[in-house]
Order: sequence, then structure tokens, then C-alpha cells
Amino acid sequence: MDVVFRPFKIGGKTKAALIYIDGLANIEEIDASVLIPLMKENNAKENENTDQLIPVYHILEQKLTVSKVEKVQTITACIEHISDGNPVLLIDQQSEGFALGLSNWEKRSIEEPTGESVIRGPREGFTESLGTNLSLLRRKIRSPQLKMKSMKIGEYTQTEVVISYIEGIVDQALIREVESRLNRIKVDGILETSYIEEFIEDNPYSPFPQVLDTERPDIVVASLLEGRVAILQDGTPFALIVPVSFYSLLQSSEDYYQRFLISTVIRWLRYIFLLISLLLPSLYVAILTFHQEMIPTTLLISIAASREMIPFPALVEALLMEVVFEALREAGLRLPKQAGAAVSIVGALVIGQAAVQAGLASSPLIMVVALTGIASFTIPRYTTGIALRMLRFPMILLAGTLGLLGIMLGLLMILTHMATLRSFGVPYLSPMAPMQVREMKDVLIRAPWWKLNTRPRLTRTDNIQRQGSDQKPDPDYGNDKTSKGKGGS
Amino acid sequence: MIEKGKISAMQMGIMMYPTITATAILLVPAITARYAKQDMWLSPFWASLIGFLTVYIAVQLHHLYPQKTLIEYSEDILGKFLGKAVGFIFLFFYLHANGIIIREYGEFVVGNFLSHTPLVVVMGSMILVCSFAVRSGVEVIGRLAEVIVPVVIILILANIILLIPDMKVENMFPIMEKGIMPSLMGAIIPQGWFTEFLLIAFLLPYVDDRNKGKKWGMISVTAVMLTLSLINIAVLFVLGGITSRFLYPAFSAVRYVSIADFLEHIEAIVMALWVAGVFVKIAVFYYALVLGTAQWLNLSDYRPITFPIGFLLLLFAVWSAPNLIELIHFLGSSSPFYRISIQTGIPLILLFIAKWRRKTNNQKLTQQG
Amino acid sequence: MSIVQKAAKILFVSVHLILLSGCWDRTEVNDLALIVGLGIDQKKDGKIMLTAELIVPQAVGGGGQMMGGGGGSGVSGQTVVRSGTGTTVADAISNLQEKLSRRVFWGHTKVVVFGEKAAKAGIRQHLDFLSRNPQIRLRSNVLVSKGTAKSVLELLPPIEQSSAEVLRELSESQLLLRVTIKEAMQMLSSDADVAALPMVKILPPEKGKKDLQTIAFIQRTAIFKKDKMIGDIDDKLTRGVLWLRNEIKRANVTVTLKGEKGNITATLIRAHTEFIPKYEKGKWKMIVKVTAEDDIILNGTKLDLLNPKYTKMIEKELENETNKRIRAALKTVQKEMKADIFDFADIFHRKYPREWNQVKNRWEQIFPTVEVIVETKAYVRRPGVNTAPQGLPEQEVKQ
Repeated sequence: MDVVFRPFKIGGKTKAALIYIDGLANIEEIDASVLIPLMKENNAKENENTDQLIPVYHILEQKLTVSKVEKVQTITACIEHISDGNPVLLIDQQSEGFALGLSNWEKRSIEEPTGESVIRGPREGFTESLGTNLSLLRRKIRSPQLKMKSMKIGEYTQTEVVISYIEGIVDQALIREVESRLNRIKVDGILETSYIEEFIEDNPYSPFPQVLDTERPDIVVASLLEGRVAILQDGTPFALIVPVSFYSLLQSSEDYYQRFLISTVIRWLRYIFLLISLLLPSLYVAILTFHQEMIPTTLLISIAASREMIPFPALVEALLMEVVFEALREAGLRLPKQAGAAVSIVGALVIGQAAVQAGLASSPLIMVVALTGIASFTIPRYTTGIALRMLRFPMILLAGTLGLLGIMLGLLMILTHMATLRSFGVPYLSPMAPMQVREMKDVLIRAPWWKLNTRPRLTRTDNIQRQGSDQKPDPDYGNDKTSKGKGGS
Repeated sequence: MIEKGKISAMQMGIMMYPTITATAILLVPAITARYAKQDMWLSPFWASLIGFLTVYIAVQLHHLYPQKTLIEYSEDILGKFLGKAVGFIFLFFYLHANGIIIREYGEFVVGNFLSHTPLVVVMGSMILVCSFAVRSGVEVIGRLAEVIVPVVIILILANIILLIPDMKVENMFPIMEKGIMPSLMGAIIPQGWFTEFLLIAFLLPYVDDRNKGKKWGMISVTAVMLTLSLINIAVLFVLGGITSRFLYPAFSAVRYVSIADFLEHIEAIVMALWVAGVFVKIAVFYYALVLGTAQWLNLSDYRPITFPIGFLLLLFAVWSAPNLIELIHFLGSSSPFYRISIQTGIPLILLFIAKWRRKTNNQKLTQQG
Repeated sequence: MSIVQKAAKILFVSVHLILLSGCWDRTEVNDLALIVGLGIDQKKDGKIMLTAELIVPQAVGGGGQMMGGGGGSGVSGQTVVRSGTGTTVADAISNLQEKLSRRVFWGHTKVVVFGEKAAKAGIRQHLDFLSRNPQIRLRSNVLVSKGTAKSVLELLPPIEQSSAEVLRELSESQLLLRVTIKEAMQMLSSDADVAALPMVKILPPEKGKKDLQTIAFIQRTAIFKKDKMIGDIDDKLTRGVLWLRNEIKRANVTVTLKGEKGNITATLIRAHTEFIPKYEKGKWKMIVKVTAEDDIILNGTKLDLLNPKYTKMIEKELENETNKRIRAALKTVQKEMKADIFDFADIFHRKYPREWNQVKNRWEQIFPTVEVIVETKAYVRRPGVNTAPQGLPEQEVKQ
């Protein structure tokens, strides 16, 4: 039994018991601040009125050197606290017990998140402990307007889930919507925020993520400041952010930490590679089997020459190599770190080379597959990247059926689907469609910070202004600003 | 109302742009060139007049019946029986017109790219993709148009820029050699396309910022006019006197693009992106048809009839003409009168009757009061 | 409907899509006969003989062998020439297809060569075929060959991969005329109804080389009237024609100065020809204003070219020389052949539409009577990178 019942007497008279779970509660603290002071009561009070019971408030006020004490009245509440690691103190003839905040379980220290590394930017990431995660948020937003609403999800796991937002920025209707969606979840247990994600998504059949997941407190804080809502869960370092649009899923936190010109270029690079990761293999198949006139003659001859010994049609060849690549990628992820790197690089090189030499694949295709693979990793969010990677396969099939027309029809299907999607009421393709020209400052380019004066208009919120306008740095500021007469100041 | 979505006036304008241009850049330049010769770039200007008129009529009718579409208020104006009959004429017309559009698209793709693929497959796949958009409602079509139209405009401009090295400005002269008549004659056919602006009568009830509807309708007509004129100029500069000898002159000009021996034969990409424009066109027509049919039949939802009507569209696309020659003949001869009489003529009559009824009603009211 | 059913349906549809499409337009590259050059000849019995030059892609080094490291990098193409006959070009193609294991593919056709006989019999129906087929490029170059087209395409050029490539490169260099299918059609349907196409001739092979190891080069210009070839002019006259068509891109002009020994050669940097049509009292007149900008590339005289006086003299001579070339071209083409390949008809049409429409049908008779006034203006811009003539003692240089 890991549950410890420790009966003792307060001051040698009043019967009491301490219940806790071994390993979850901090034993040294229990000894030092509960057992010693309460049992020592015995010696101190010996000479005085020995028959009288010691009043509870006296114990609370004078003896228990524990900062967090909560009164519990029901057995269920008792069990909840005990399973949280908080020891519960029960005293004879008292209708209430005391839950003592002395839980202490094994925690991982704060590390840099491996899935979302940055070159410039904070290096801390969330851990599995909710308390730590909340403290990370509190440390970044000092304002009392930062609100945390807590609830429990999971019939058996009783996992604590916190909805976090900044009052005054966020749309109240959005909070109500998030709460009602979370309240609807009836499940035996949740182990990861992805459980929640699947329960609260707008369109469960979509391959696209409609919720942003992140391990980075800075991303959460930036989202909160934009009027979004974060959902944190105990036991996982991944926080969810709603609502999101497709473009916010293509952004990296580093976009805002690097110089804005560079970030703009990198954003465009990312958009281009996004298309490549979705389309390149299908374009290869379409052009090679339908539109041969598009390839310059010399290139076509060399491709034809390299394909001369290949037994498969281009479509099959492309599908085959793409599957192999996906397998390599998956293997590289699952294998231990050291072996993983070896598998992904060596495997790709060796298999590619061997496939070409064995006459199973042509070398141009190997290049196409490799380029597609690299392109899909330029998308900072793994979930977005993998959605596009998987859509590549139907696209290849369409390209093999109707050529470029098939690709276009496939793209239109995807686009139609994305136009229908909403994430907590926010159109997925906004601000592109419906078009909001003002919001393009953070989509087509990354405007400099002194131009990002307003928050994105995700939902109906009055608090749009983010900062004072006209903050463009100017070397003339301070000394002869008045002489310019600009703005009349 | 059956449709719960809302679009902005700008979205409506953007939706209408490919709705006119997408097929107007296929066969029309050749037909225009046949009549207008080197004045073909003037014809879109004349043709657009009827576009402005149609937008004006649609907006006026909309002001009289703000919450209703064409099908609904023709019943209000003409009474139950006549209104239903006129509604049927409109619906049948849109069924037929959309069938022709789909056929034009199919003929173009099969004639130029996929010569062995069955026409039905090419047209059917497009209708299928469109029906998904139509089922999702006007909002989604509007958003799709917003994504697609910038791409289409960039595509048109990029092609024109790529063709600049092959352009010969002399091809434009002499301007108005035989007076204004040839360019007016050349405008007859494109007029049929401009009357398609009547479709905004189906969209206006769902426009958010109602007062801007007219403005964006007019902007859209202007944009279409300028685009068609620009394309005609570019084609004329490149192909000159033989423009009318090609079935799809704009496309033949694109096939001529060659920059540095590398950027050539881009027509397949151009076709693919153009298909996106046609997609919007077919979707808008299809949506108007589905919505109108649902309203005509007093249904509570239009979604269930999307696929059946899609199938009907496919049949009409197949039936619309036995071959491309017949199709072109129809488009080049009787179609403008057919289109103008239904898309501008009937609404104009409706507007007059509606105004007249308002007046007599008001008089009655004042007499009574 | 359960998710499994839905997935099964999607799978069913996609599998069928792939299987169905097998018989549609999908073609593997390796099932295509890549035709780069097309030759059209007319045989004695009036039948059309079509010659296609196609490239056979071949992997050098063998894909199947593991040795030699990066195999498959050295890739070359071999050309094959096949012919087919028929009453029309299209017929001839089906005949050609019978002799080919791969499907003919026109998407990469670069040049179309008409044999002399075919050109004389008329090229309109061939051009129609070429422009009606969606695969064939309107930008393919059109040429006429002295002798049969087959003999031109059969050659195995030592430098380029195929003789079609040779002809395309030569056309694109624009030393002489360059005409694409589109331009040929434009010329034939223009007001003048004449055309000029570049004409190629086989370069005699060098000594010791096999007969076929040579190329054909563009040397003359074939003149067409109403789609039938009526004659040809040589390269010198062609240059004059190019001036009159405002198409001259490159030219070297060699002149001698009065009283000086040796030549000076100038190369054309920029040239422009302006046409000013005039119609006065029933007389058609055309003023041709030619402007040329040159650099000196050779100085065989003893003159120091930095002296502006000499520059003036050279400019004068250049103008005379250009004038002479243009005059010669006019003489042959306008007066003798009576073919309006300069497109004067269109120029008059643009300026005087009403007057022109009256003589539209008699243009062929009027054209030779058009008075052409040539005004040339030449500018020497730079003396190259030298000052005084090289290889000459200082005292002999004339300042």
C-alpha cells in the first residue's frame, strides 16, 4: 500500500491522523512542520489545563507551519487532495479536515523545447508540471488581468486543466465558448492536450490542425496578448492556443525576434516551400507524364535517359519513393537519438543511391523526393507540416490521372475545405479570405514592431490598440524634434 | 432565409470578376477580332455599357426588395403564377448557361491538353469540386474568390509582361479605319458576357455592407472591361492580323511566350491557374442556380439539391452542343440576344413594373389616408 | 456512416481513378518519340514526304552496373531520321508513325524545314497543319532548304546534338532572317500576301570527314508570293532586306576612305529603320530613314581614329555603304521580283487607309512603282579599345 495512515495524538490527547501517499508528499516537510509541532504540543501544555481539548483555530494559527492549508469537508475532496499529493490532517471530533499543501513529486527541470528550437529567443519550455507552467506564464505577464480558470477533466485521471487569458483583451464570448466546449468533454482520462484538441475542434475530419500546440511560454504569452486563449493541462508540456488561422500556424516565434526584413523574406521562403512540399512530387508526375513539352529539351532527354531502364510508370515510382521517404522520416523520429540521425541521413543516401543503381528509381525523382522532404521541414509547426505531407499522396494520384488539371482540382478541393474551416469561429484562411487588408502586415510581410500597432482582429474585441502609434525610431528624437514641427509637439 | 452566410460587398465584386472574365478570354477575342479587326481593344468598352446597366437594374431591384433574390421578388412583382413562370425562365436559363460554360471549359481543356480524356470526366470532376464549394454556401465561395482572383490577375499581368518582347504596336493602327461600327459590331458578343452581372441579384441580399453593393458592382464591371481590353490589346500586338484565325487567341499568344529559351511552353501552368478562375465562375452560376431552385420550390435548405442539380448540369453540358463548331456558332450568333433579353431585358421589365406598382400603391395609400 | 465505410469508399474511388486513367492521356516519357526537327518535301508524284529528326535518349554508362561510382550522369542523345509519305502532311505522319515504336511527340519540335520543291508547290496547307495541332509550337523556326529537307535533317552535326538544334541556333542568332511559324502565317495573311523565309544550304564537309558530318547553314532568303516560292536572294541582299524590315541585329560593314590604303570595319551596335509613307497626287512614296550606331572593330589604315575628322569621314562612308546595300535589295526584290516583303502595304494601309483600300487589289502592280527614298545616318560611337592603329611605328600614324 502506498497510502500511509499515520495516527498520532496532538498534545498527547487529541487523536488525529495524517493521510498521504508515499512519494507524492514531501515527508521531510511533514515531519518538520506538521508532526513535530503538533506532537511537541504535548510537552508544552503538560502543566496547564490538561482536560481541555485544544481548539482547532489554535492549531491552525499557532502550530501548523504550513503556508497552504485548505479545509475539506467531504470524503471525495479528501481523496482528491490526497491523490494530488497533499496530505490531509484529520482531527478527532472535527467535521473538517485540513489539506496541507505539501505535495512534492518528481519534476523535470525547465529545458529548451526540442520540437521548437530557436536561434534567438527565450530558451525555456513548459514542463509536465502545471504549477511550473503557470508560474512561467505569470513571470512573463505580471498584470493581474492575466486570469486562470481551472477545471478537472477525466473521470479517473481527474486532470487539472487551466484556461488562461488576459481579461480586457480577450473576447468574453470566446471564453464562454471554450469553457462550454471543455465542459462537454466526458472521458475516462486525458493524457495529453491532443485529447482535448480532438474534442474541441470545429471540424474533426479535417487534416489541418485547428488548434495551435506549443511548448514555448513565449508563444503562449504572445498569443494571449493578441487576444487568444491558452489551454494548459497538467502532465504535458504542450499548451493549446485557440483560435488560430492557417497563417498563424505557419509562423515561428522567431519571426518576431529576428529583424523584420529578414523575417519577411523567410516568411516568403516558407510559403514557397510550403507549396513545394505539397506539390513538387505531383508536379513531377504531371509534367513528366502529361506535359512533356514544358521541360527544356535537354533536360527532358536526360530525364528520359535516366528513366529508360526503370520498369515502373512515373506515378508508381513517385508513390513508392515518397512512401519510403515517409518511412525513413518516421523511423528517424522513433529511434533513439543517436541512431535516428544515422538512419535518416545514411538511410536516405544509401537507399536513394542504391535505388537508382538498381534501376528502381530515377535520379531526378530522388532529388524531387529529397527536396520535398526538406521543404516540409521548413514549416515550423510539425502538425501543419505533416498535414501537408499526407495530402501529397492524393495529389500525386490526381496528377497521375489528369495531369496539371488534376493538381489544380485537388488544390481547389483543399482550398474549398480550408475556406469552410473555422477555428472557434475564426475563418481559417483569414485574413486572406475574408480579406482584411490591414491584417496583411503580419501575413504578407512581418511589419516592424513599431508598425504592429493593432492586434489581429480575430474576434469581436474592443481592445484593438496594442501600442501608441508613431513610434518609428528616429535619431532626431529627443534633441530637435520640436524644430521639425512634426505633430505640433 | 435559406442562406445564413454573409459576404462583404468587396467579396461580391471579387466574385464577379472571374465570373465574367474566365470564359470571356477564351473564344471571345477571336469573335471580336473577326468584326472589329485592329479595333478589337475598343469593343470591351462598348460592351461594358450593358454591364453597368445590368448592375444598375439589379441594385435598383435590390433596393425595392432588400432581403430577396431575383427568384423571390419576381414572384412579388408579377404575382404567384407569372412570377413562378419568370422564375422558371431564369432558372432554366442559368441551367443552360452554366451547361454551356462547363462545356466551353471542357472543350478547351480537351482540345488543348487532354485530347484522349473523355469530356464527361473533365467536366464531371469540375462540377464535383464546385458542388463542394456550393454546398458550403456563399461565404465560402466568396473566400475562395478572394484567394483565387489575385492569383488570376497576377497570372494575366505576368503573361502580358512576358509577351512584351513579341509585341508589335503597329498592329493597332489604323485606329477606327472604318469608323466606329466595326468595334461596335465586335462588342455584341462580349455584351452577352457582361449581362452575366445580373448574378449579383442573387448575391446582394447576403451582402453585409449593403450601401457599398452598387459601388463594388461598378468597380467589378470596370475591372472586367479593363482586363478584357488589356488582353485584346496584348493579343492584337502579338498576333496582329491573324488573331481571328485562332480559336483561342489569348491562349495561342501565351503559347508564344519564350524568355531566354527556358521560360517557354508555360501554357499548361497558365491553363491550370485559369481553371481556378473558371472554378469560381461555375461555382457562382451553380450557386445562383441551386439557391434559386430552392427558393422557387420553397425548400427550407438548398444543400440537398446541390448534387442532383450538379448532375443535371453535367447533362446540360453534354447536351448543349453536339460539337465545338456548333457551340461556337451558337456563342457567335444568337447567344448575345438570348442572354441580353433574359439577363437584362426581363429584369428591366421587372424593375419598371415594380416601380409602377410602388407608385400606384403609394397613390392608393395617400388617397385612403 | 461509419468512418471505416467512408474511408473504404474513398479508397475505392482512388484505386479506380488510377486504373481508369491508364487509357487516357498519360504517356511516359519513354514512350514518346521526341521530334526536334520536321522536314517537308514534295515528291515527283506530288506526294508529301515527311522527315522527322528524333532524339533517342540513352543512358551512358548503364544504369544497371554498380561500378564506376555515379552512373547515369553522362547522358547523351542519339538522333534518328525517319520519313513517311502521304497525300498530306497528316497522312505522312500516320505513315511515319507506323515506322516508329514510340508515339510521335511534337512538343519539342524546333524547326520546320521545307524542301525547295515543296516550297515552290505552296506551303499554306502545311502551315495550317502546323498551327492547328495544339502540340506544335508557334515559335518553331521555319526554313527552306536548297535541295530536299531530308538531306538537311539527315546531317550529323559535329557540335550540336541534332541538326535541328543547329538550325534553331543559327536562326536565333538573327544574322540573317529569322521566321517563326506565327510570323510566316502573319506574313502570308497580311495585306501584301508575300513572305520571306530563310534558306539553308549544306556546308561542304571538311576533308577527311564523312559526308554527313556537317551542318546546313542559313545563307539565302527565299521569297514567297501567295505561299509559293518564286525565287531567292543571297546573303548580301538579305542584309539589305533586313534593313528594310527593321530587323537587322548584327552586321559588319567594311569601308575604305578616299585616299587611304586599307580598310576600316565597323560593327553594328544599334540600328533602327523608320518608315514615312507619303501619298501625293496618286503617287506612292516611301521615305526610309535608317539610323545605325557602330563601333570600329578593325582599322587597317594608318589613321588615328581619335581624330573627329576621320570619324566624320567614316560615318559618311558607312552611310554610303548601307545605302548601297539597301538600294541593291530594293532593286532585286522590288523591281525584279515585285514582292513586297518589306510590308510596305501594311505601312501605307495604316497611314492612308482610304486611299490604300482603293488600290488594294492592284497592289502587286503598284508596289514596283513605289518611290523609295533612303536616308541613312550612321554614327560611330567608339573606336574599340585602341587609339592609334596597332603595330605601326609612331611616326607613320596619321593624326
